[in-house]
Amino acid sequence: MSTLVDVLAADGLPRARTPALIGALTLLLIAGPFIGLAFATHWSDFHFAAGDTRSIGVSLGYSLIALVLIVALGTPLAWWLARHSFRGKWILEAIILLALLTPPLAMGILLTALYGPYGPVGGMMAGTGVELTNSAQAFVLAQFYAALPYYVVAARAAFEGVPRELEHIALTLGKSPWQTFWQVSVPLARLGVAAGIALAWVRALGEFGIVLILAYYPQGIPVKLWVNLQDIGLPAVYPLLWVFFLVAMPLPLLLGLASRRQRLI
Amino acid sequence: MRIDYRIDHPVRLQARFVVDGFTVLLGQSGEGKTTLLRAIAGLLPAQGEPFGGLPPQHRAVGYLPQGYALFPHLRAWENVAFALPRGAQRRAQALELLARVRLVDVAEHYPAALSGGQQQRVALARALARKPQLLLLDEPSSALDAATRDEVMAELIAEVHEFGLPVLAVSHDPHLAALADSVAVMCGRRIVQQGAPAEVLLRPGSVAVARLLGHRNLFTGRIAGHEPGEGVSLLQWEAAKGAILRMPQQPELAVGQAVQWMIAPTAVRLPSLKPEHHRSDNPVIGRVESRLNLGAHFQVALRCGAERLWLDAHSNLVRYHGLETGREITVDLRSDGLLCWPYAD
Repeated sequence: MSTLVDVLAADGLPRARTPALIGALTLLLIAGPFIGLAFATHWSDFHFAAGDTRSIGVSLGYSLIALVLIVALGTPLAWWLARHSFRGKWILEAIILLALLTPPLAMGILLTALYGPYGPVGGMMAGTGVELTNSAQAFVLAQFYAALPYYVVAARAAFEGVPRELEHIALTLGKSPWQTFWQVSVPLARLGVAAGIALAWVRALGEFGIVLILAYYPQGIPVKLWVNLQDIGLPAVYPLLWVFFLVAMPLPLLLGLASRRQRLI
Repeated sequence: MRIDYRIDHPVRLQARFVVDGFTVLLGQSGEGKTTLLRAIAGLLPAQGEPFGGLPPQHRAVGYLPQGYALFPHLRAWENVAFALPRGAQRRAQALELLARVRLVDVAEHYPAALSGGQQQRVALARALARKPQLLLLDEPSSALDAATRDEVMAELIAEVHEFGLPVLAVSHDPHLAALADSVAVMCGRRIVQQGAPAEVLLRPGSVAVARLLGHRNLFTGRIAGHEPGEGVSLLQWEAAKGAILRMPQQPELAVGQAVQWMIAPTAVRLPSLKPEHHRSDNPVIGRVESRLNLGAHFQVALRCGAERLWLDAHSNLVRYHGLETGREITVDLRSDGLLCWPYAD
């Protein structure tokens, strides 16, 4: 293996080349489709199809609302799972796993059965004038279900990584459990929680299967891509895809940078 | 301050003693010393006084766990300011506390950049910022270098004396106990002895306490008789060719009873340089097995029958007697230095 060890590495330590080579190859595999996209796009005839701009607004606006709901409702659950052990906890864990496991199309069908006009909840809500299919609420609901379990799993792992001793010390220093959560648990879990938020954002924004069934209207970017492909063809897909990347990337990128600016532990 | 706590879980233990100045609670690992501190801090369920029944955030204690548990995401001064109310004076107050532990120059450092001793002092300043009525220290000397440990601990003790706070430090380190104002010894999950360090070190209440205090000259024997006229009891040291030793009378021990006994290495005397002082309580012959040079003092291990007897003597005396390995010598076991307890496992 000595030929694979680069003793002249910049930090003065021997560095193995094999992982770097395999890593570069893997990265190339990941990048392949996007390199292909760059070549397949008709840059000279770059234009949007009718309704594309609206779909961008729908995707961004409703994904943000879904993300706020996911963080607001998912964080207490994640913290509770991280900090408490009780009999039958595995059942809760299995439910979350089930939500992760269900194919999006099937999840869409299940949600329609529950929230659709003939479903128990949907029927009740329809009586108050709130439609839970093919509406703004339905769109947010679909994204909420798509991304919530991913956030809970990531945030739970992050809270589990916070030493309990530090939370205990905060209590002995006169802080209430609520202050301890905000001043100790959250700052120390921020890397993992930020990763969870980024993951939830990407999942919500890119969700197709559940949205297709529960909220075909209003059309967000993923459904609009499908509609463009059906109605016009490939050239109408690529411009919208570029815009999708452009609007979806900044949040996870910023979260990653912000949470890593002070890496102390 | 009187401490009286009973804990049922995770270990069952009872502790009743007085914290007076810097008090060390000495006990082996597994006695539940950390459990007791956490119970007093309110971090696990227990019954007792002081602070009984209060949630941890309402107990006026400063708790320094092993490893000090500084917040890694906060600078030194922010750690100290953690317990201080928000306001314009917050930073100034934190810096003032850091100044009292002589750490102002590292106020902007994160804990990862501080040495063990510095972390301990930041944790102390942080605990003091809460204005506690009692300070709890868990093994304060364990994470320190052997070279600087005594110095750092002496400084810490001086600092807490300056603040005039009662301190309870739990430890298994007899060195720390020797520096304290008061020592309580925990054995079998209850307090078996409390007193001034010199008194506890010199007169341990049982053989278990003696072991905990690091005494090495612990032997077994048998009561050979009593001589009430002379106020002595006779102890037969069977392992050392049945030598008979005279000790202050202990009438509660029956003749023939198996006992455990100890003698401090300083109470094992070499023959004096001046012949007129040559009076022996309990002459015992031993052969030098090894010797440790501690500068002004020597520790010498003597083989006496099946046992090894340690003596501690001034270097001049050791040189005068030419105590090389293999040399045979008669030493005197001072009667009043002999301590004896009924045999226990």
